[in-house]
Amino acid sequence: MSFFQRWMQTVFLSALVAVLFVRPVRADDWQPVTPEELKMTSEPQAPGAPAVYLYRQVDRDDQGSHEYNFKRIKILTEEGRKYADIELPFWKDRQNIRGIQARTVRPDGSIVNFDGKVYEKTIVKGKGVKYLAKTFTLPDVQAGSIIEYRYTYDMDGGYVFDSRWILSEELFTKRAKFSLISNHQFTLRWSWPRGLPPGTNAPEEKSGVIRLETQNVPAFQTEDYMPPENELKFRVDFVYSGYGSTESDPEKFWKQYGKNQYGPIDEFVGKRKAMEGAVAQIVSPNDGPEVKLQKIYARAQQVRNTSFESGKTEKEEKREKLKDSNNVEDVWKHGYASGAEINWLFLALARAAGFEAYPVFASGRHEYFFNPSVMNRSQLNSDLVLVKVNGKDIYLDPGTTFAPYGLLPWPETGVQGLRVDKDGGSWVRTTLPGASESRIERKASLKLTDAGDLEGKLTVTFLGLEALWRRLDQRDEDDAARKKFLEDQVKESVPATIHVDLTNKPDWKSSAPTLVAEYDLKIPGWASAAGRRVLIPIGLFSNAERHVFEHANRVNPIYLTYPSQKIDDATIELPPGWQASSLPPEQNNDAHVCVYAVRAENMNGMLHLRRQLTVDFLLLDPKYYSPLRDFFQVVRTGDEQQIVVVPGAASARN
Amino acid sequence: MNSKLSWFPAQPPHGTKHVGQRTSIVALLAFAAGMLAATPRAIAADAPGWMRALVNAPLPAHDEKTDAVRLYSEEILTVQPNGKIKTLEREAYKILRPGGKVYGSVRASYDSETRITSIKGWCIPAQGKDYEVKEKDAMETSLYGVEDSELVTDVRTKLLQIPAADPGNIVGYEIDHEDRPYILQDEWIFQSSVPTREARYTLQLPPGWEYKAVWLNHPEVFPAATGNNQWQWMISDVKAVEPEGEMPPWQSVAGQMIVSFLPAGGGGQKKGFESWGEVGSWYLELTRGRRDASPEIKQKVAALTASALAPLAKMQALARFLQQDIRYVAIELGIGGLQPHPAVEVFTKRYGDCKDKATLMSSMLKEIGVDSFYIVINTKRGAVTPATPPHLGGFNHVILAIQLADGINDSSLVAVMQHPKLGKILFFDPTDDLTPFGRLRGPLQANYGMLVMPEGGELTELPQLSPAMNAINRTAKLKLDANGTLQGEVKETRLGDPASYQRYALRAATKDADKIKPIETLLAHSFATFQVTKATVTSLDSTNLPFEYNYTIVSQNYAKLAGNLLLVRPRVLGSKATDLLETKEPRRYPVEFDGPERDTDDFEITLPAGYEVEDLPPPVDAEYSFANYRSKAEANGGVLRYTRTLEVKEISVPLSKVEELKKLYRVIANDERNAAVLRPTVH
Repeated sequence: MSFFQRWMQTVFLSALVAVLFVRPVRADDWQPVTPEELKMTSEPQAPGAPAVYLYRQVDRDDQGSHEYNFKRIKILTEEGRKYADIELPFWKDRQNIRGIQARTVRPDGSIVNFDGKVYEKTIVKGKGVKYLAKTFTLPDVQAGSIIEYRYTYDMDGGYVFDSRWILSEELFTKRAKFSLISNHQFTLRWSWPRGLPPGTNAPEEKSGVIRLETQNVPAFQTEDYMPPENELKFRVDFVYSGYGSTESDPEKFWKQYGKNQYGPIDEFVGKRKAMEGAVAQIVSPNDGPEVKLQKIYARAQQVRNTSFESGKTEKEEKREKLKDSNNVEDVWKHGYASGAEINWLFLALARAAGFEAYPVFASGRHEYFFNPSVMNRSQLNSDLVLVKVNGKDIYLDPGTTFAPYGLLPWPETGVQGLRVDKDGGSWVRTTLPGASESRIERKASLKLTDAGDLEGKLTVTFLGLEALWRRLDQRDEDDAARKKFLEDQVKESVPATIHVDLTNKPDWKSSAPTLVAEYDLKIPGWASAAGRRVLIPIGLFSNAERHVFEHANRVNPIYLTYPSQKIDDATIELPPGWQASSLPPEQNNDAHVCVYAVRAENMNGMLHLRRQLTVDFLLLDPKYYSPLRDFFQVVRTGDEQQIVVVPGAASARN
Repeated sequence: MNSKLSWFPAQPPHGTKHVGQRTSIVALLAFAAGMLAATPRAIAADAPGWMRALVNAPLPAHDEKTDAVRLYSEEILTVQPNGKIKTLEREAYKILRPGGKVYGSVRASYDSETRITSIKGWCIPAQGKDYEVKEKDAMETSLYGVEDSELVTDVRTKLLQIPAADPGNIVGYEIDHEDRPYILQDEWIFQSSVPTREARYTLQLPPGWEYKAVWLNHPEVFPAATGNNQWQWMISDVKAVEPEGEMPPWQSVAGQMIVSFLPAGGGGQKKGFESWGEVGSWYLELTRGRRDASPEIKQKVAALTASALAPLAKMQALARFLQQDIRYVAIELGIGGLQPHPAVEVFTKRYGDCKDKATLMSSMLKEIGVDSFYIVINTKRGAVTPATPPHLGGFNHVILAIQLADGINDSSLVAVMQHPKLGKILFFDPTDDLTPFGRLRGPLQANYGMLVMPEGGELTELPQLSPAMNAINRTAKLKLDANGTLQGEVKETRLGDPASYQRYALRAATKDADKIKPIETLLAHSFATFQVTKATVTSLDSTNLPFEYNYTIVSQNYAKLAGNLLLVRPRVLGSKATDLLETKEPRRYPVEFDGPERDTDDFEITLPAGYEVEDLPPPVDAEYSFANYRSKAEANGGVLRYTRTLEVKEISVPLSKVEELKKLYRVIANDERNAAVLRPTVH
């Protein structure tokens, strides 16, 4: 449950609130434990589980500002005993926890009441922040025991908080009940974007109480390449709107939101004359529209972007005396701004240059997959600019350092956004670059030594999003760290021990669409012995694909950050007198969203290896996991193929 | 701050970490770090003179990868006649690279016996005015350095963020604290993870008091008398300890001085230790009465041992109870970091930390007439050696030495030694619930622990077990067809630590299907394509039996077609090679293995009809003092058989032999890649 999101406008000024509704709790009013619960040794729907929730209950009251929690857990294995160590965090100045009661029910039904100490532990304290935890552990917990505990959060009556019911927990839940009494002074919206567990009815409001009951909710499982957890967990989100915001129709809600956003932005960018003057310094009259826009984009990115600078202490900021910008003219004059302000400067310049341009608020897909019907404004957390050029919509984000013209950072690609205007605006979808636009090209020129080592030069070119994330990731590092970073990337790509040395100085500071790294490369013992023959594997840069999708079973969808492509081209010069006696057959495997091709050729004693791997999807249903896994097994099989080479003296015999 | 003895039992060797309800708290740390970066309201105040004097100081030798250098480090201890110690700590760093920013985060840990009276930090920027931050700017947390498994501890940390800890700038701090140590000893660790230009340690003793200093990992340096019973040690240009994989523990490589404070007349109740005998006596006193049994304990012992006739069976029953029924929970407040809870309490609550478990085990053993003794030890071999002076700071764990009566001889009891006073003793760690009674996991073998006997303590070397006790033995009977598909059965038997690691890994498996994931991972490292068609796990919970995986696999295109030849890798699965030593820089420290081990592979591949072996990889026979590796591929009657053995005989490879180890790993890597060539049978 999120206690972090505070709705700022919801401070109650009327101090006459909060007569706390206190749930009367007595030590002996525990719900009875059934013989079935006592006898239980496993849960058929969660085989092998260390523990399961037999029952959970959350009763939240935003009128009375408190939340009652109850948990009953069946311990099924020794590993499951860790759930008897309880830690309940809380913000000291905003919350308190009271009424902690707990007990252990032994497998024979006898009861050990918790009468130990509840410790209060400081997690973080200082500067007006006090984040503490109530901590305790239950006695005599064995596999077969049932533990149960309950407590109540009291929250600061002066605020209301958004909240959520998390239905998918770390443990399987047999049964759970939730209720919420909303704060009547504000509009509350609730939604279950991921749906609800099978057999669970939608939350219902009766007599001012929203209720939900659920059962047999699988334990949440994490896997590689899965969507953000927020998108996978069954949950019910509760979002309060500000005073007077009662709109329940999503279309009208977002129109109003767009209008509200447009006003301040319009005011911020509304310095037409100053911007026209600025544009005159940037473009020349003969520039075509695209060139003009590119020049404006490049100029906007020259503004110092404070959003991408490493964290400074308050004192450092104070000493630097950066001024606030009230409008784009200020930004232009100051020469520094936040990422959003740079975007709005770009918007103003584009408009001043005669382009039709709009601010857009999008939802980054690294945390949520946006759903407008949820009407959660906080999820529209990215800003960018839509410009119409030659009849085409171009989405741009110069406020992201190093983002090349025409390329958005990956969380903003392929997402829904609200293009705002004075009438509220409309929904748009940002572009998703094709796989070939986010590419890694590796070109190697190598020699095989008599000892079976490969030595030579390697050039790696990162394009598009492949270049952008690396520049952003390494932006605060120095040359030595970046060198190591790039060398490590090559090490991780070769399925053998290698020696690699970066020999050039890549351009880390630009927004160029490519990032080029050059290396000296040595792979000791790449060729292996097979009696009098030598075998050369053709998958030089295949290591990344060696260990993906190892497991046969999959629960969650497969989610990639962006489509991408790898193209490898390597030549290998054989030692004098050596000859390739056998080349593996060419492979082409087109699995629609994934394509793999590999080819080895012998060109007058020079081996030429080419490999291409394209992964062109973002999200795949788990039912496609098996074919996807099969595809990568084919990739591995192709990469493991070997060229048979016959060394000098022996070659005469073949 | 006083040291603590609490080791979380099942440290994942290859690690999964359970977080449970703590996930959000871990996330909070990041939040706290953010708060720190955002909140300090430093005032512009000049850094103190000692820091200013460093502005133009020459830097100690360093390379381009060095994040920062420590320009100055100073500890000034004032020991008071009542045993309290006041300390002033000063440190200053020059930040050289962005990674050096961490030296702008000052962390001061304290507990109920420590009071931080002042904490201040400064930055001298390369340009501009100095910054100053004080205690009011600090945050407090109890998480840094606290293990997951510790439910409660009174150790807290003050965090102070110094502004502008950027390359080119100098950051420094001063911390004043007052301590009431349980033992009048101190550790001055003057070697750091960055090079140090100058380090000083000043000791002011009350009149008549003396000190005794012992140096570790550094030649002894003698102090200058700088006042009335005041002594000062100074060291300059100390190299950094740079971490390496599989290196010995920090304590065994970092330069340090252990200094004991000895009150006037030598008769004080509290003083620094001068012998292991004294350390043991002190610990014995601390634990006095803690092992006393209650009627309930006696009753439980009787119940647990009722069906066991022989003493060994009784001990095994008690060991099982301790390992399985007493949950690991550490609650360490004050002296509780060193002193176990009474056995009665541990028994009633059914939880405790390592010393609690050892205490209850000892108490229960006593009830069947078996004496046992605490062994205070470190979970990392090498942290304490015979060169270590008597002190508790090197230890973090407690196990037991159990006195075995004459006549108790059983092949399962291997972690035994003959002690000159106690006779035959067995070492047992009741906290380690994966290592059966009678055995000892690798990192405790050949490790030094303090044996606590009635007459005092003694530093004792624990036995090193035979390599065959720790093993991964794989056998496979497989069949290859002419299309290159390999299929058949594999049996993997794990003994000792490898079995424990696997059992630990499978604890996190919440579903039955997850239990074969380790196999899938192993196979994914060995085959391009594979399907596991059948798999079983045997003796998952029976720690006294070998752990076994039995599975059937199909791997298409395992053998590669090359013209009319088939290329087959005889080493079908599993890898022993590592690139640990394939580094640009020469190795600085010895390589430490977890423990002795002897792994074997025996793979038989029935060849497809119509094919015969044309070429085989050469056999390998690499023999070194610390390990040997042998492999052989043979063809016989249409069967290709590959056998190999890797035996680790010595658990530490000294620097002088590291090149040999590197060669060995290369030999193994080459052997693992080699292929056999099959050709169509010639008739």
